[in-house]
Amino acid sequence: MTEGESNQSLPEPLPEHLLEAVLLVSATPINSPDLSSATGLSTQEMQAGLVVLAERYAPETSGIVLRNVAGGYQLSTNPSCSAAVERFRAEARPAPLSGAAHEVMACALYLGPLTRGAVSRVRGVNSDAVVRSLIERHLLAEVGTDHDAPGSPALLGVTDEFLAATGTSSVDDFPSIGSLVTQEELARVRDRLASGTVPPDAGSEPA
Amino acid sequence: MTFEPAGRSLSDFTVELEVYSGPYEWLLALILKDELEIFEVPLRELVGSYLGSREQGAAGGLERDTDFAGSAAALILLKSRTLSPALDVEADGGEEESLSPEELVERLTEYLKIRRAAERLREILAFNAGHYPSAHTLPPRPGRLRIKPDRVTLAARQTFSRLVEPPVRHLGPITVTLQELAGMIRVALARGPVSYETLTRDMDRLNRAVTFAAALSLAQEGRLTLAQTEPLGPLTLRPST
Repeated sequence: MTEGESNQSLPEPLPEHLLEAVLLVSATPINSPDLSSATGLSTQEMQAGLVVLAERYAPETSGIVLRNVAGGYQLSTNPSCSAAVERFRAEARPAPLSGAAHEVMACALYLGPLTRGAVSRVRGVNSDAVVRSLIERHLLAEVGTDHDAPGSPALLGVTDEFLAATGTSSVDDFPSIGSLVTQEELARVRDRLASGTVPPDAGSEPA
Repeated sequence: MTFEPAGRSLSDFTVELEVYSGPYEWLLALILKDELEIFEVPLRELVGSYLGSREQGAAGGLERDTDFAGSAAALILLKSRTLSPALDVEADGGEEESLSPEELVERLTEYLKIRRAAERLREILAFNAGHYPSAHTLPPRPGRLRIKPDRVTLAARQTFSRLVEPPVRHLGPITVTLQELAGMIRVALARGPVSYETLTRDMDRLNRAVTFAAALSLAQEGRLTLAQTEPLGPLTLRPST
C-alpha cells in the first residue's frame, strides 16, 4: 500500500484535527483569520474546534497547552514540564530581566508608544542601554516616529513577543496603571516630599 | 563565589551573579566589549561578595585588594555614566530644568506607578515563563518570494525619500513656449513647404530646440509632415493635405 492509498483510506479530518496540525507547526501565535484561511474552516467550526482543543490541552491534563496570546492561538509546552524540556534542549532558561528592564517595559506598555527620551525622563536615568537590550530580545520595537519632536525620534512599543511572554492577548489585558498604586501610597509620597524625605523606593536604581 | 589565593592578582577570582558566572577578569572583558550591559551587573553585590571571600593575611592580598578597588571604581564610574540622564539641549543653552514642587510630585507619582507596574510585570513574566512553543521552522520553498527586511527598508527609503533636485542655475530664463512656436510654424506653412533651417535661421539654440519640438508635436497631430531625404540632411516641413 502506498502512502497515497493510505491517506485515501483515512477518514475526513475533524475541525480540531486541522487546527491542531496547523498550530503544531507554527512557532508563533496564529490569529483567527490566518487559522481560518489555512484550515478552510468557518468561524463557527473554528471556534468549536478550539473549544475541543482547549479541553484536550488543558494544563491539568497535558504536557502541551493551548494559549490565546498576542492576538492568536499557540501550542506550547506546559510550564510544569519546562525543566525536562530545558534538559533535553541543553539550555538554561534565559536570565531574568533586571528591574530597569521591567521599568522600561512598563513605560512602553502603559505610556507608549513613547520615545527613548520620554522613557529616560520618567525613570530619571538614561535608559538607552536598557532599551537596546530589550529591542535585541524582541520585547520592544520601534513602532513609529514622533514627527513633532526635534529629529523625529523613534517611538517604542511592546511587541507580540512581549504579549506572548506575558501570556496576554493584547495590552488591554493588563490592569490599569491607576489600579496598581493606592491613594494612600500616593498620599505618603506627597507627604514625604513635603517634609523633605525622599521616598524609599522612588527614583532608586540598584547599584 | 570562591577566591583561591593562587596565581597572580585577581586571575583566580570567580563570581556567581544572576547575569554572569565565571572569572572576574572575563566579566570585565565582557563589559568592556559591550557583550554584557553594565547596568545589569549589581556592583554592590559584587563588592560585598569580594569582601566576604577574601582571606586575611594571604600573600599578595594587598595587591589583590588594590586591583579590585581600581577595577570596581572603574565599573562604578562606567555604570554612573551609563545611567546618567542625557542632557536635553534646549534653546536656552541646555540649562538643567528646575521643577516646581507640584511638578516634582507629579513626576514621582508617575514614576511610582511605573515602578509598581514593573513589579507586577515581573510577576506576570515569571508566572508565564517556561512556555516553549513549537521549534518547527519553515524551510525556504523553491521559487517562493523571500522578503529580506534590510532590502525592504532600503526600498522604502528610496521610495519615500525626496529626490535631489538637479541644479538648474546654468539654464537661462524660459522666453518662449511650444505653443508660440507652433503658431509661427502654422503661419509659415500657410505659404507652402518650408525648411527647418529657414524657419530657425535667426533663432538661438533654445528657440531652435523648441521649434523642433513644436514641429514634432504638429506632425504627431497630423497637421504637417516632416521630410528628410538623407540622414542629417535638410529637413522640410510640409502642410498635410
